[in-house]
Amino acid sequence: MRDEVIITGIGGQGIQLMAKTLALAATRGGLQAMLTSDVGGEMRGGPSQASVVVDDEGLRALPILPSTKSVVVMHHKHSAFALGRLVPGGLALVNSSVADPAAIRDAEVIAVPALEIARAADAPNAAGFVMLGAYATLRLIVDVAALGEAMRELVPPYRAQHVAANLRALEAGAGTVLAA
Amino acid sequence: MTAATARQLHDGCAAITESAIAAGCRFFAGYPISPFTGLLENMSRRLPEAGGHCLNAESEIEAVNMALGASAAGARAATGSCGQGLALMQEAIAELALNELPLVIFNMARNQQDYFQATRGGGWGDYRTLTLAPKDVPEAVEHTQLLFHLADRYRAPVMLYGDPLIAQTHVSVDVAARDFGPLPAKDWALDGSSGGTGHSRQIWTWAMGKATEPGPGPDGHWRAVAAKFDEIAGTEARSETYRADDAETLVVAFGSAALFVEHVVDELRADGHRVGLFRPVTLWPFPGDDLAAATRNASRVLVFELNAGQMLDDVRQFTHDRGAVRFIGGVSIHASGLSFGPLLDVGPIRERILEAAA
Repeated sequence: MRDEVIITGIGGQGIQLMAKTLALAATRGGLQAMLTSDVGGEMRGGPSQASVVVDDEGLRALPILPSTKSVVVMHHKHSAFALGRLVPGGLALVNSSVADPAAIRDAEVIAVPALEIARAADAPNAAGFVMLGAYATLRLIVDVAALGEAMRELVPPYRAQHVAANLRALEAGAGTVLAA
Repeated sequence: MTAATARQLHDGCAAITESAIAAGCRFFAGYPISPFTGLLENMSRRLPEAGGHCLNAESEIEAVNMALGASAAGARAATGSCGQGLALMQEAIAELALNELPLVIFNMARNQQDYFQATRGGGWGDYRTLTLAPKDVPEAVEHTQLLFHLADRYRAPVMLYGDPLIAQTHVSVDVAARDFGPLPAKDWALDGSSGGTGHSRQIWTWAMGKATEPGPGPDGHWRAVAAKFDEIAGTEARSETYRADDAETLVVAFGSAALFVEHVVDELRADGHRVGLFRPVTLWPFPGDDLAAATRNASRVLVFELNAGQMLDDVRQFTHDRGAVRFIGGVSIHASGLSFGPLLDVGPIRERILEAAA
């Protein structure tokens, strides 16, 4: 049941919201989750990374993961740490709208053109949720509906207008994986 | 025990806040400084909802003295900062100890360089600060409630030694109020009665007392306070060992660093190395007797801490064979200055243990 993922990208891509959505959905579903964040001081463009570990009862994990079963690469910049911790043959879900999937070796690489999918879903700011929907569908830890509920809970009232687009993005990401 | 609350996803600061409120904390004052700011933010939102008060002070000195005042009036009170802000609070912490006032102090430290500050203190007089060092967020939740109990039981300032990982890591936690047993009534607390009413009370470091009711004075009072800290040293030391029974190499580490060492111990055991961990849970009182017993059969005692060697002094003092002690920690700071550097990671810790054990 245990799942581990490091989500890596740059500030502004929604990395922290993706991770928190996953961890909260798992918690609401009766699982245990641990989320550790590492962000740069910049509002935009600086390093942004988060690791999420999900398990049944008795979760034991380090806040700085020595290894991970999966990574989600939203941007190649600053991704060396996450890719360096990926176990051989682990899952690398790559936002191929930005990062080059061919640059990643010794992994099960799945390319998701998240920006194009998000635009097609009329959710151009929600590429991160496309990736999260795809990830959850591949890993089956939490379903897209639970992610949607968690996202709804986390988005502050002054951003409530984005909830519907985020939901479309989650569904579109899941659909991409199911269709493949 | 009261009923458990629903499991929530909280970062350490939010989890500690909920735990403090469950313990009856109703007054908090602090001044923002990373990574303590999250605790102040959570307290400022949650304490008023729980019928308490949270004040964003104009400085750390003001914050700790506000908390001292609340404590003197009988409230369960707390303050906090990181080591830099606690440096400013040292005088008030000494006054709290010598006035015999309970207070919980949260050091949401940036690293492990405040060990001497926590265990030796920088104030004046014969006092020590009971300090618990949790290894993760669930333990920080437990320690928070225990600290409020110990502060009241011993009428003394006590400390939680946290760090950026504990402050900022989110985990799924249940925070339920815990019962540690009965406490004496706070019949010493000030109740607002002023001089001349016949009901006024005095809390004074020098314990001279009132003209009509002389106190023990500094000699008697400070001897009694010192004796109380002797009693705490004899009864409140806590420690934990992990796979230490047959260990040839025993690593000593505290707080988050111990969590990482625990993981490395598992890895090295899987490779056939007889390695174990000793973790002081209380930094003061240092669990010296436990360490002496745990190190009796160890060939090597390795000290891993993220500083230049502070707990090392205590380990040398109590290890069965002082000659077996080696320091494998070091200063390692994140580029921001606000968190741990790359030494707090499984790879480097593993390398240092293997190198020292070779």
